[in-house]
Amino acid sequence: MFLYLFKRIGLSIVIVLCALLALFLLLHLIPGNPATIALGPRATPEAIARYAEKMHLDEPVLVQFWIYLFNAVSGDLGVDVFSERSVTRIVLEALPSTLILAAVALFWAALLGIPLGCISAVRPNSWFDRVTGVLSVATIAIPSFLVSIWSLLVFAVILRWLPVIGAGEPGDLADQAYHLILPAFAVGLSWVGYLARMVRASMLEVMNETYIRAAHAFGLEPRTVVFRYALKVAILPTITLIGIGFGGLLSSALFAEIIFTRPGVGKLIYDMVMSRNFPVVQGAVLIITGVYVLINLGADLVVAWLDPRVRSSL
Amino acid sequence: MSAARSENPAGAALAADTFRAEGWYKLRRLLGSWQGLTGMVLVTLFLVSAIFAPLLAPYDPNTLDIPARLSGPTWQHIAGTDQLGRDTFSRVLYGGRVALYVATIGITVSMIFGLLFGMLAGYGPPWLDNILLLLFDVIRSFPTIIIGLAAVALLGPSLNLILAIVIVTTIPAYARLVRTSTMALRNTEFVIAERSLGVTLGGILWRHILPNVIGPMFILAAMDVPVVVTVEAGLSFLGLGVLPPTASWGSILNEGYLLIRQTPWPIVAGGIPLVLTTLGFTFLGEALRDIFDPRLGKGR
Amino acid sequence: MAPLLQIRNLDVVFDTDRGPVRALRDVSFDVPRGKIVGVVGESGSGKSTVIWSVARLLSGNGRIVDGTILFDGRDLCDLAEPALRDFRGRQASIVFQDPMTSQIPVKSYRQQILDILYRNREQSRSQKIGHALAMMRRVGIPDPEQRIDQFPHQFSGGMRQRMGIAMALLMKPQLLMADEPTTALDVTMEAQIIHLLRSLQAEMRITIILVSHNLGLVAELCDEVVVMYAGEVVERGPIGAVYARPAHPYTQALIKSDPARLTERGRYLPTIPGDLPDLRLTHAGCIFAGRCPKAFDRCHHEKPAAHALADGHDARCHLLDPEQAAARALPASVTAPSPQHGAMPDNSGTQVSEPDALIRVRDLRVSFPGRGGLASLLPGGQPATIDVLVDVNLDLRPGETLGLVGESGSGKTTLGRCILGLVPASSGSITFRGRELTRLSEREFRPLRENMAMMFQDPVGSLSPRQSVRALMVEPLDVHRPKGFDRDAAALKLADMVNLPRELLSRYPHQLSGGQARRVGVARALALEPDLIIADEPTAGLDVSIQGEVLNLMRDLQIAHNLTYLIISHNLPVVRHISGRLAIIYLGRIVEQGDCETIFRRPAHPYTEALVNGIPQPDPEHRRTLISIEGEVPSVAVRPRGCEFHARCRYAQPRCREEPPAETILSDGRTICCHFPLTD
Repeated sequence: MFLYLFKRIGLSIVIVLCALLALFLLLHLIPGNPATIALGPRATPEAIARYAEKMHLDEPVLVQFWIYLFNAVSGDLGVDVFSERSVTRIVLEALPSTLILAAVALFWAALLGIPLGCISAVRPNSWFDRVTGVLSVATIAIPSFLVSIWSLLVFAVILRWLPVIGAGEPGDLADQAYHLILPAFAVGLSWVGYLARMVRASMLEVMNETYIRAAHAFGLEPRTVVFRYALKVAILPTITLIGIGFGGLLSSALFAEIIFTRPGVGKLIYDMVMSRNFPVVQGAVLIITGVYVLINLGADLVVAWLDPRVRSSL
Repeated sequence: MSAARSENPAGAALAADTFRAEGWYKLRRLLGSWQGLTGMVLVTLFLVSAIFAPLLAPYDPNTLDIPARLSGPTWQHIAGTDQLGRDTFSRVLYGGRVALYVATIGITVSMIFGLLFGMLAGYGPPWLDNILLLLFDVIRSFPTIIIGLAAVALLGPSLNLILAIVIVTTIPAYARLVRTSTMALRNTEFVIAERSLGVTLGGILWRHILPNVIGPMFILAAMDVPVVVTVEAGLSFLGLGVLPPTASWGSILNEGYLLIRQTPWPIVAGGIPLVLTTLGFTFLGEALRDIFDPRLGKGR
Repeated sequence: MAPLLQIRNLDVVFDTDRGPVRALRDVSFDVPRGKIVGVVGESGSGKSTVIWSVARLLSGNGRIVDGTILFDGRDLCDLAEPALRDFRGRQASIVFQDPMTSQIPVKSYRQQILDILYRNREQSRSQKIGHALAMMRRVGIPDPEQRIDQFPHQFSGGMRQRMGIAMALLMKPQLLMADEPTTALDVTMEAQIIHLLRSLQAEMRITIILVSHNLGLVAELCDEVVVMYAGEVVERGPIGAVYARPAHPYTQALIKSDPARLTERGRYLPTIPGDLPDLRLTHAGCIFAGRCPKAFDRCHHEKPAAHALADGHDARCHLLDPEQAAARALPASVTAPSPQHGAMPDNSGTQVSEPDALIRVRDLRVSFPGRGGLASLLPGGQPATIDVLVDVNLDLRPGETLGLVGESGSGKTTLGRCILGLVPASSGSITFRGRELTRLSEREFRPLRENMAMMFQDPVGSLSPRQSVRALMVEPLDVHRPKGFDRDAAALKLADMVNLPRELLSRYPHQLSGGQARRVGVARALALEPDLIIADEPTAGLDVSIQGEVLNLMRDLQIAHNLTYLIISHNLPVVRHISGRLAIIYLGRIVEQGDCETIFRRPAHPYTEALVNGIPQPDPEHRRTLISIEGEVPSVAVRPRGCEFHARCRYAQPRCREEPPAETILSDGRTICCHFPLTD
C-alpha cells in the first residue's frame, strides 16, 4: 500500500511539475520579448517593465525557471499586471464556483446515469436498453457548449423559466441554486450518457464472468447478484473513468461559465485571454491542472481501496 | 491434453465454417443495423456537403445582402441570414469544410504519431516506455480547451493553432491504445514464434504487430472525429479559432449567440450540422466497434 | 429407489449469429442416488451443457427446447425462478473448472460464505462461520480461522479449488456437479482433489456428476459413465463394463487413443480421423457415421436406437442391433495402427560419446528481475531477482527425443526458449555443435536459427493472426533463403508433408481447428529442415483423438528427416509415448534425468515417483489408493532451503532441510539430485 501511494503521489507531482515547465516554456519558446508576448501589444511600457522585473527576465532562463518554480511551490503565482492583485488569490476566489458547478453536474449525472446503466445491463436488448442506448450516444455526441447555448435559448430566452446570466445574489442560496440549474444541466447532460454506457458495458462484461454464474449457482437472490456482486466489480472502472473524464467536465464548465456569464475559473481564463493578461492565465491553468491531477489521484486511490487485488499487491 | 474450452458448442461448430464471405457479412451487418446505417448516411452527408460546398451553396458565404439581414428562413435564404445579411445556409456548408479540414489533417497526423510513439513505448526498452507514458499522462492532464486558451493567449487565434492543439492532445489516446496492444502482443506466442524464426525487429513490428493494432485505431479515429470537430467549433465559438470572415460552425454559433435575443435562427442553423456530424461519426464508430472489436472502447 | 436425477430426451439449442446450433439432442440418462456418474466427451460434445441445463443456468442464447429433467420426481424444466433458486442453493451445487475465475475477486471468503448461507435464517452469524470453518478444515485448508478473511487471489490454485468444493458443500446439497474440476490444476494437485472428492462423497453420501475429458480421471472416480459425442449420448453404463467392453465405435476409439493406456513406446497411436459435424444442420443418420470406420449404409440414413447390452449398459449403434449381426463380423479394428511405418528410431541405448551432443547445457542459470528496485528494499519484499532456472545440465544427442517434464512454473518453457536465445541466460553455457550460444547477438544467432526450430504451446495463438496459412508456411524460407524458391510450390510441398488439406492454404489462423493449426506449426518448424525441434506442449489444447495424429506425424517426420526433439510437457503419458530419455524439472532444477522406461518403472527421485503415481489410469480395475504427494509447487520467488522438494517429500530427512543435494550419477546412468535416491 505504502509503495503504491508513494508511486502514485510521485507521479502526480511529476505531472504538475511538467505542467509548470510547459507553461513556462510556452512563453519562452516564442521568439521575441517574453514580457511583450505575455501582455500583448496594448500593454503599457510600465506594465511590461514591471512584468520583466517580477519575472526576472534579465536573468538566464534557467534561473528564471528556478525562481518561477520556487514561487509556484510556495504558492506565489505572480501578480495580475493590471490590478496588481495576487494571481493565487484571484484564481482561488473563482475556483469554488467552478467546483460547485462541476460537482453538482457530476452528481446529478451519476444519480441518473449509473442506475440507467445498471437497468440496461440487467435487461440487455430490451426496449428500455435500446432507448437508453440511443439517448446515451446522443448526449455524448452533442457538444456540451451547444447544449448550453440551446438550453439558454429555449429555457431562458424563449420560455423565460430560468435566468439568463450570472450566479445569483451572493448569500442568497435559493437564488444561487436557481442560477445553477441551467449550467449544471448543460455540463452534466453528456455525463449521463457517459456513465450509463460505461456502467452498462462493464456490468455486461462482469455479468458474463464465471463468478457471477457461480453466484447464481449458489442460489443467491438476483438482487444480491446484481448489486452486491456485479456492481461491486463494475463500479471500479467507472470511478477511474470519472477521474479521467474530469478534464472534459472542466472544459464543459468553462463553456457554461462563458455562455451563462457565470463567475468561475473558466470565465476568468477567458476574460484574461481576451485582455492579454498572461500571468493570470498561467496561474489559472496551473491550478486547474492541479485540481484535475488531484481528482485523478483521488479516483485511483478510491479504486485501490475498494479493490482487494490492488490493495494487497501494493 | 484436450481442453474444455467453450461450454457453448457453437464456437466449435463455427470454427469449421468457411469464412470466405466474412468481409461481406460484416458490411451487411454494419448497414443492417440502424445505428450503422444512420452513421453511414450522416457521415456521407457531411463529406459530400463539405467537399462540394462551392457547388451546393446558393450564395458566396461572404456576400452581403443588407436588406435581408437577420431574416428567418425564407425561400431566398432557407436558413436565414446573419446581421450582415450573409446567407447562413451557405456559411454552414462552407463551415463544414473547416471541420473536415481540421478532422482529416488532425486525425491523420495524430494517428501516425500515435502509432509511432505507441509502438516505441510498447516494444522499446522499459525506460523509454516510462518516459513516453509520463509524457502522455502530462498531456492528458491538461483539459484540451484550457491548453488551447493558454496557447491562444500567447499566439493569437488561428486555424493552424487549433490544428496543432488537436494533434498534440489526441496523440496520447492513439499512442496509449497502440502501446497497450503492442505490449500485449509482444509476449504472445506468435511474436515469440516469429522471433524464433529469426524475423527482424522491423519485420515483427511491420508485418505482425502493425496489422493487429491498425484496425482498432480506425475505430478510435471514427469516434474521435466528433471530439476534434467539437474542439474546433468550441474554440471558434470563443472567437479563438478561425478568423472572421471565414465561416465555421463555431463562428456562426458565436455570432448567433451575440444575437440570441433578436433571432434564434443562426444558433439553430449552426448547431444542427454540428450535432448531425458528431452523431453520425459516433454512431458509425459504435457500430464498427460492435462488429469488429467488441472489447475495445472500455476504459477510454 | 428411484434415481435422484432422470434426464429424458433433453434438447438444447444455442442461438448464434449464424443460425441455431443444436447442442444437445435427445440426451437421456439417470443419476442414481449416492453414486458418481462421469460424463465424458471431447470438446464440442456438449458435456458441460448437460450440467448447465440441469442447473438451468444456460448462457443467454441457450434454451431447452424439449425434454424433462426430473430431480427427486420434480421436473426442473417446469420450475419458476424462485423455486429454481431454492433448488440451486439447497439441493444442487456446482464445482467450477477454473477456480481462478469462478470466485469473485473483491469479496473475502467470509463475505462469500455468509452470502451463500443467507437462507439459514435460524443460524447466527457465528454459527454460520463455525460451520464454514469446519467445512474448510474438512477439505484440507490449513488455518481456516485466518484464511477465511482472505480474498481469492491470496489463495493458490489448489487451495482455491478446495475452497470452491467447500463452498459448494456448505448447504449440504444432495447433488454435486463438477465441471472439469482438475483441468486447471497440476498433476500432483489433481491427484489430491480426486482423493478429496472421493472421500467426501463416501462421507456425506452425496451424488456427484463429474464432467471431464480425462478418461483416467473418470475411471479413478466414477461408478457409472456416460459417453457423449457431438451433443448425443452414444454409450452409458457401469464404469467397469464400459471400459472393459466398449460397445460403440466412438467409445472404443476414445479409449484406444488415450496415450495413458499405452505403456510401450514406439507404437502408433490410434486416431479418429475427421472433424465434428456441423451442429447447425440436422443429421439424419448416426451422428458419428462420418468418422466411424465401421459405418455402413444404414448408419447414414437412420438414427440408431439404444441397444441394451447388459445391466444398465447400452449404446446407440446399429452394429448392436441383433438384426445387424452380419455386420458385426466385420473387422473390428479402429483406424488400424499403420503397420507399414517402421518403429521409432531408438538410439537412447547406444552410448553416444560426449562431444557429439547436439545441444549441451552446462550450469545454466536464468534470472528474471523481481518486482522492481524499490520493492526489494522494503522489509519482507521479494528479492531483486528471481531464479527461474538453476544449475541446469542437459545433453541432447543427435536423433534422440528428450522429454522435459515439469508442472506449471517449473521453468520448462523458459529452458526451451533460452536454448533458442529468446530468453537471455544469466550464467552458464549452451553450446550447439560445440558453438557457444549464450553470448551471441541476435544478428549472429540468426543464421543458426535455420537449424533450430520451435513448436509453440498454443496451436492457433502461435500463428500471426493476420497472415494467411500460405504466407505463414513459407515465412521461414522468406527469412532465411529469400531468393530462388517458388512460393506456391514450397507451400504445397509443406502442406502435403504435414497432411494439411491444400485448400486451407488461403485461410487465416482463426479459421483453422486446433489440429489443423498444429499442422501448420509443424510445417513451419520443418520448412528449413532443421536438426533440432523444440516442441513446447505439442499436444496442449488438442482432443485425445487429435493428439494421436500430431504425435504420429511428429514421429514420421523424425524418421524421414533424422530430427532431434526436445519435447516440453506436463503430460507424462504423452512424453512417455514418444521420448527416449526423460528430464524431470522441479522449481527450475533438473532433479532426475535418464532413460525414459527406467524412470517410469523405477523412479529414483521422490518427486518423479509422485508424478508417475499421479497419472490417473484409464482402467477402473486399477484405482490408486494412496496419494504420494501433499501440498503445492512453491513459488520460485521463495526457494526453500536445502533440497527444494523437502517440504513435500514423503522421505525427507533432517539432512534434506539443511543441505542441497548435488547432482550424482546412479549405476544405471541416470543423474539425480537427491540425498536418498529410491533405487540404487
